[in-house]
Amino acid sequence: MNLRGAPPLETLERWMQAVVMHPDGATAGVQSRPARRLIPIAAGDLESVVLPSHSLTSVERLDIYAHMYYARLLEILVAEYPTTRQILGPDRFAHAGRRFLARNPSRYRTLNRLSEKFADFLTKSLPRNHRNGLAVDVARIERAMEDVFDERRAEPLTAAAFAAIGADEWQRVRLTTVPALRFLKLRYPANDFMNAVRRGGKPRFPRPRPTFAIVYRRGYQVYRRDQEPAQFRLLAALAAGRTLAQAVRASASGRRGGADRLASTLGAWFREWAAAGLFCRIG
Amino acid sequence: MTYVVLPNRWNLPDLGLGVGLRTQHFRYITERWPAMDWFEILSENFIDTEGRPLWYLDQIAERYPVVMHGVCLSVGSTDPVDFGFLDKLRALAARVKAVWLGDHICWTGVAGINGHDLYPVPYTEEGLRHMISRVRIIQDYLERPLVLENPSTYLTFAASSMPEEEFIARLATESGCALLLDVNNVYVTCRNHHLDPVAYLDAIPYEHVVQIHLAGHTDNGTHCIDTHDGRVIDEVWDLYRRVHERTGGRATLLEWDANIPKFPVLQQEVRKAARFRNGERTTARPVAA
Repeated sequence: MNLRGAPPLETLERWMQAVVMHPDGATAGVQSRPARRLIPIAAGDLESVVLPSHSLTSVERLDIYAHMYYARLLEILVAEYPTTRQILGPDRFAHAGRRFLARNPSRYRTLNRLSEKFADFLTKSLPRNHRNGLAVDVARIERAMEDVFDERRAEPLTAAAFAAIGADEWQRVRLTTVPALRFLKLRYPANDFMNAVRRGGKPRFPRPRPTFAIVYRRGYQVYRRDQEPAQFRLLAALAAGRTLAQAVRASASGRRGGADRLASTLGAWFREWAAAGLFCRIG
Repeated sequence: MTYVVLPNRWNLPDLGLGVGLRTQHFRYITERWPAMDWFEILSENFIDTEGRPLWYLDQIAERYPVVMHGVCLSVGSTDPVDFGFLDKLRALAARVKAVWLGDHICWTGVAGINGHDLYPVPYTEEGLRHMISRVRIIQDYLERPLVLENPSTYLTFAASSMPEEEFIARLATESGCALLLDVNNVYVTCRNHHLDPVAYLDAIPYEHVVQIHLAGHTDNGTHCIDTHDGRVIDEVWDLYRRVHERTGGRATLLEWDANIPKFPVLQQEVRKAARFRNGERTTARPVAA
């Protein structure tokens, strides 16, 4: 069928978008249901919408945009998820990336949030095995690193601010954590794995083992580190706005030795967190 | 041929020779403060973030003039104007004291989706009226002229009823927007559509041109892609010289976005523009359709 008359601007834009964002290229895009609902033409009649050049057919010209769409955005995913890609391998990563982009097109003006659902997508779409499980956990860490990189700034509390808290106030005190802090409960020792990769090794894929990681920014540098389970629970409770006494009770529950044992390690944990600049306000 | 030199109608300054500010050069620039007349930033790279790039940008904006150039304003889109995004652009412009800000004559997405690419508009009366009304709304909101760039295009809509250069000229004169004339894009577009770049340049209203872009591209034989991955070719330098004859000097910027070299290479490349501002010709054959 040939096109009669020029399609309205909005129709033309929606049609071109449907064509060039099709994961199988412009030919498939022209034949796709969304595109045909807008402009019902066969690939052979494409010249009534897009002119050929002396050297390229109409569909080849559209394919330039289709190719660039996936190439450009895949490049972003490759830059943001280097270790996930290493685990999956370049081809499987690219395949997963294309499917992700086809189902989750960007809805933002900036690229910061393009991949915010990528780890969830991998969780749902990859077959369940150790390699993929590790890849999902690493993807969650790599995404958190992107998040804290862009997160709002907040000046961390100084040592003097901590010292000013009276001994009798500690139980009731609420400490506000910096915005650039994320908590990740993981099924694999993904942070250790990433450290080994970063050191230039080719570590074996680890067996499942629950780990608890935090990802944060100090100044403009992004860090990630594992926490002991009770340490993680305590910090998460503080971040949720609990008083120190409430947070200790919440994190000690189920821990052999209870709150007394926990109290003996609190000092070391607070020194670690304070050095990392994880608190920004006492309130 | 001698031309009447046309100043731009806003008397916006000729900032001299600049380069696009890229992450790879942040440290070099802030440690050495190299000689460079000005920098252009990609606006979206500094929006919705309070990370390290903004920290570098704040320092750089204290020492060099900065121009904001965006890729996602989507002026040609049929989606509603995103005033929230305009607020962010305005805030960034105030923060870095942007000399001007702009984007492209294109659309980047519709139906709430962003393709993060510069899609061509059909050069129709409907497309022109749509863009003029959008430019006016945006300029009124931002309270400053929008500086719009001719993109590289790779296809022609059958519906188009006028040449690209006529569309651009009418858009500028009827909306009152300023133009960023990307000379490399003129070359790439003309190669892809078998047009005469000199005739294209003849149609540009130079009193609207406030900035010029230079860049390298990839020639695939059947078509060229605006890849910004290398040096400016001689044919583009010759087009730049022709533009300079019409303008008498406009802020000129080198873009280099892939295979990015060390900063001194950029300095060296953009400084070539001074030679062509003095009328030097290359040994390239005249560009023809």
